[in-house]
Amino acid sequence: MTVLGLYAQAIAATIKRDAAVYASYRLRFVSQIFGTLFTLTVFFYVSKLVRTNAVGAHSDYYAYVVVGIVTLTVLQSALTLSALVRGELMAGNFERMVISPLGPVVGSISLVIFPVISAVLFAGFTFIIAAVLFGVPILTSGIVPALFVALLSASTFAAIGLLFISALIAFKSALGATWVIAALSIVGGVYFQVKLLPGWLRWTADIQPLTPSVDLLRHLLVGTASAEPVWLDLVKLGGFAVVLTPVAGAILWQAIKLSRLRGTLMEY
Amino acid sequence: MPAARTSSRPAQRRRRHADEPLVAFRGVWRYWGRGSKRWAVLRDIHLDIPRGETICIEGRNGAGKTTLLRIATGILAANRGTVTIGGIAVGDRWRDYHREIGFLSAGDRGLYARVTVRGHLDYWTALAFVPRTERRALVNDAIVHFGLQDLADRRSERLSQGQRQRLRLALAVVHRPRVVLLDEPRNSLDGEGLEMLRSAIHGVLAGGGSVIWCSPVGEDQPVTFDRIMRLESGRLHPV
Repeated sequence: MTVLGLYAQAIAATIKRDAAVYASYRLRFVSQIFGTLFTLTVFFYVSKLVRTNAVGAHSDYYAYVVVGIVTLTVLQSALTLSALVRGELMAGNFERMVISPLGPVVGSISLVIFPVISAVLFAGFTFIIAAVLFGVPILTSGIVPALFVALLSASTFAAIGLLFISALIAFKSALGATWVIAALSIVGGVYFQVKLLPGWLRWTADIQPLTPSVDLLRHLLVGTASAEPVWLDLVKLGGFAVVLTPVAGAILWQAIKLSRLRGTLMEY
Repeated sequence: MPAARTSSRPAQRRRRHADEPLVAFRGVWRYWGRGSKRWAVLRDIHLDIPRGETICIEGRNGAGKTTLLRIATGILAANRGTVTIGGIAVGDRWRDYHREIGFLSAGDRGLYARVTVRGHLDYWTALAFVPRTERRALVNDAIVHFGLQDLADRRSERLSQGQRQRLRLALAVVHRPRVVLLDEPRNSLDGEGLEMLRSAIHGVLAGGGSVIWCSPVGEDQPVTFDRIMRLESGRLHPV
């Protein structure tokens, strides 16, 4: 078997383990569905109060905001991955990754995959609920390209998640994740268009991957006119993925080297 | 317990390293603390362990036994000096180095509460880069060897302390490493468990592997060692 194949098997085993742990909490999925239903219901009624033509007819706001919320959920799952690693450190399980041939960097990346992929799948499930129960008009022609955009977005978000894991490993703290999620929800066009932001803040919409991700998914899934040309959004999103992934991997490796030297790799 | 896994490394490299010790500590220093509060827990450790040898490193609490083992696993970096296994240093080729080691940490941590005994072994063999075609046989062997047949489908959160330790030992050797590092392995083991441990060590030695066993001073040892060393004031002394 090739070395690449052995890496693939080890990563697949981590995904399988995470899936088994997830499945062992039988009420977790039910709880997620209820949480999603509540959110969709709240925004269903809030959107009836929105009287603006900024995103089309006023009834279109619901579809607009649902796509934003669902994308934000995927981002949230990636940015809170450091909590999972913290759990591994506290249980003494991260050690197993470190002393394996897989190594701590690829091991950390493998820890990211299941939560992010399951968040993407749950996002798809949320769209189904939104379409069936709340009448959100999903464009079937956009589903396949949207899936591609969702996976590209997820890999970009996962790279940001790795940066938080690096912070956790190096400094034993990744407290900024909650703030970053909150800030991105404002400047990423989740609830309202970024052109409504004040001029001095608008540049922040261009320097992070949530904005093109939400813009593309809205355009593909519910037909909202995209704020930027589709090709530009794709270039931006792909650019973030291409740049952030190796940078995050390199920073993670440096964080691990630093904490091996300090003797804090297994501490939390 | 079956012998250590035959390495797939090129024969040429094996011949080149045939005369080298399997494990070599060369001038290893490790400090803890910072500035004026810095002290050396390991001072210029030199230790060669040939193939087929089992060595006990004993020391008082806080003497640096765990630090020494952690440096050998790569969890911790030495401030000076190197550790090599089969001529490979941990920082040089992470993957090759870690295919050769099995590690049992002190205490009872490192298990996934919601994962079964078999799930742990299967997962670890995959992480240890054992090809899929060999995994099932190795896992079954380990389950039988450590008397875990009736517990194979039980989650680790439902195991007793002794059963957990047997599983942890199984994880340290299931992938047939050439070097096994054991930090206070007796923890919670009954007579039967100790016999399993003894037999597992014999299996590693029979395959040309080596075992480093760390334990507190004065602990009864269930294994006959080729050498016993004492770690004191940061230095290793023969006993």
